[in-house]
Amino acid sequence: MTPAERPLSPHLQIYKPQLTSVLSITHRGTGLALGVGAIFFVWWLSGAAWSDACFRAAQAFWGSWLGRLFLLGWTFSLFYHLLNGVRHLLWDIGFGFDLPMTYRTGWTVVAFSVLLTLFAFGGGLYAWGSP
Amino acid sequence: MSGSAAIRHWRAQRVSALALIPLALWLVESLLAHLGSDRVQIQTWLGQPVPAVLAAALVIVTFFHLGLGVRVVLEDYVHTPGRLAVALVANRVACWALALIALAAIATLAFGL
Repeated sequence: MTPAERPLSPHLQIYKPQLTSVLSITHRGTGLALGVGAIFFVWWLSGAAWSDACFRAAQAFWGSWLGRLFLLGWTFSLFYHLLNGVRHLLWDIGFGFDLPMTYRTGWTVVAFSVLLTLFAFGGGLYAWGSP
Repeated sequence: MSGSAAIRHWRAQRVSALALIPLALWLVESLLAHLGSDRVQIQTWLGQPVPAVLAAALVIVTFFHLGLGVRVVLEDYVHTPGRLAVALVANRVACWALALIALAAIATLAFGL
């Protein structure tokens, strides 16, 4: 028997995004972004260990506008994934599972991710100077 | 995944997440402190025992946690059984390879090989 051609849920065309679902998919997206960041980190670390050319290429990349845009994305991803991860761990021990608290912790995660990103990235730019 | 394997996955993801909270914050602080450092400065930094051990722990737990997370994403979005099997093996191999390369790099920097 061939399965019927029916729409699969969630019905994204008619689905109204809400904070909870957006934060959930963002958790996944930032996790994957951090995975890509980990690969770049290994590239830089390998250069530091074994190759002048590789290390200089990595340092030049971080120094470029594109590299800094990536660093900004990874900084936000790290703080967001960390804070929202704590939110998940709290749910796992049974805290904050009702809807008003879910929204409250959600907005808290967004606000602190942005603040910590501005703080860390701004501090980095200040220390390093513009490209 | 069987039931007990799913529970092991669930627990491993949470335990590694807990370990990554301090390690990730340490990484941010360390990278900020080493902006623009040259290779000698990185060697001096990772030549000390505490940063070297923390960096090694960070690498191991990061690629362990990443492997678990990517596995869930693949299981959610890759619907062809054959392709999923290949993707899951590729995920494992990539995480192991990256972790081992990073550990070898840290060892080189730490022991000045």
